[in-house]
Amino acid sequence: MSKGDDKVDLDVGMYAAREKIHPREVDGTFQRLRHLAVIVLLGIYYGLPWITWDGRQAVLFDLPARQFHIFALTFWPQDFVYLAVLLIIAALSLFFFTALAGRMWCGYACPQTVWTELFMWIERWTEGKRQQRLKLDKAPWSINKLLRRGSKHVLWVVLALYTGFTFVGYFTPIRELSVSVASFGLGPWETFWLLFYAFATWGNAGFLREQVCIYMCPYARFQSAMFDPNSLIISYDEKRGEPRGGRSRNIDHRAQGWGDCIDCNLCVQACPTGIDIRKGLQYECIACAACIDACNGVMDKMNYPRGLIRYTTDNAMEDKPSRILRPRILVYGVLLLALMSGTVYSLTQRTPLAMEVLADRNVLYRDVDFETVENVYTVRILNKDREARDYVLTVDGLPDAEVVTRPEHIRVDAGRTSQVTASVRVPRDEARGTGHTIEFRLTATDEADIARTSTARFHGPREE
Amino acid sequence: MTKERLLQCLGSTLWPSFLAAAVASVVFFAAIDPETLRVQTFPGLELSRMAGYTIGFFMFWAVGLFASGLTYVLSGGGNRRHE
Ligand code: SF4
Ligand code: SF4
Repeated sequence: MSKGDDKVDLDVGMYAAREKIHPREVDGTFQRLRHLAVIVLLGIYYGLPWITWDGRQAVLFDLPARQFHIFALTFWPQDFVYLAVLLIIAALSLFFFTALAGRMWCGYACPQTVWTELFMWIERWTEGKRQQRLKLDKAPWSINKLLRRGSKHVLWVVLALYTGFTFVGYFTPIRELSVSVASFGLGPWETFWLLFYAFATWGNAGFLREQVCIYMCPYARFQSAMFDPNSLIISYDEKRGEPRGGRSRNIDHRAQGWGDCIDCNLCVQACPTGIDIRKGLQYECIACAACIDACNGVMDKMNYPRGLIRYTTDNAMEDKPSRILRPRILVYGVLLLALMSGTVYSLTQRTPLAMEVLADRNVLYRDVDFETVENVYTVRILNKDREARDYVLTVDGLPDAEVVTRPEHIRVDAGRTSQVTASVRVPRDEARGTGHTIEFRLTATDEADIARTSTARFHGPREE
Repeated sequence: MTKERLLQCLGSTLWPSFLAAAVASVVFFAAIDPETLRVQTFPGLELSRMAGYTIGFFMFWAVGLFASGLTYVLSGGGNRRHE
């Protein structure tokens, strides 16, 4: 502690020296929208792993088997490109929506906001409203305080553990997982990740809260690069509000030279990051719109028009026209659209089959008889489909070439790889010289559409 | 203000390295199966894939943390007072 720092910290712990922020609860259009978003998003998070599809968990990132299942789709390590494209799409959407609507993401959809909201509901439920919580903070320890605090922490921990459990349930089938939890048979790694995620949730949503946004979030720092004067932001209308000050509701405040802000500070009390929006756009602002709702409530009471604090753009604030369609938006939008439709298209065109051909390195070629030479290959077949299939291998590229596999119909179970030896036989006279290119073609016996080709080299005896 | 500084220090080292480790693990393990790695390095060791992923993740995190920590110290973060 530095000298002269004699202020007593209300909060004990390593997270902050500042006083804990107890945002005032407000009601209004935007808060209802946010609550809706929180409920929908959390519903998806907690509910999704319980949905089954085609006899298996609909969304399962099966790391031990190295397969990702997302409803009807199964992804393999070979589908890595989709992951890369997905990441690019995610980044582009963030740019797009930020340029368009500012920090919508922060206020409505960021997991940090969503879980913090959930944890605050519990806090409100156990410890009461803002005033009661402030009083409780200052009050000496009593049975009442112990009970309220205790139940809050118990609920928080339970919720955090359940969140961690759900998280692991995306990687290990959640039904099996719940059985192992109930019978205390959880594996070490699952236990570890469950506790890890639970701890992160508990710490971030229960204690760190707005400090995650202020100190830890990279997005908060580079958002200004994505903003332009046409981006939607939350702003206080200074021209209309100033000079601020308290006054009676019945006077004609304009005539007395007052602006519309009555300096009630409700917008500051409602702010979860503890800032005063009247000082202008600050990077701490997560665009939760709580101050809008708070101030609109005040404006209603005063019989002033709403929107002293509102969603607006810099241009609108300066009485210039705002444009939605501008080059930046168009470029992001077109790119996004192209990427997304490209992905969807290629997903529908995906062949649920992969093949790899390796030539036998030990012998270049073998004489079968006086007329025929043979090359031997190892063929690996990956059936990416959801059902077992039979395949036949054919070869092309040299006249009269034929391929022998044993068995002729190669059966591969769903999601499995199989390895067969393939001998390619070519009449001696056609095969002279090394390095002919041949093409293997693997076709499903029951569906000619499911086919893959792969090239290889064929070596014959030297020219005579 | 020491606590605030500690928090800022942790926030600007632990967190970026965590993010980087998450991305690195995803990319790395999408291309490489920890099982093959194990066979090629410590074939005698009994390690499940899950263990492989976890160890890999923490290795990436440690490397990232080292880099972030150095950046933090070198850019004066350790000395500057936050407001
Ligand atoms: S809530 Fe509205 S009226 Fe009250 S202080 Fe904030 S801006 Fe002024
Ligand atoms: S200033 Fe308003 S919108 Fe920004 S974080 Fe605070 S309450 Fe939310």
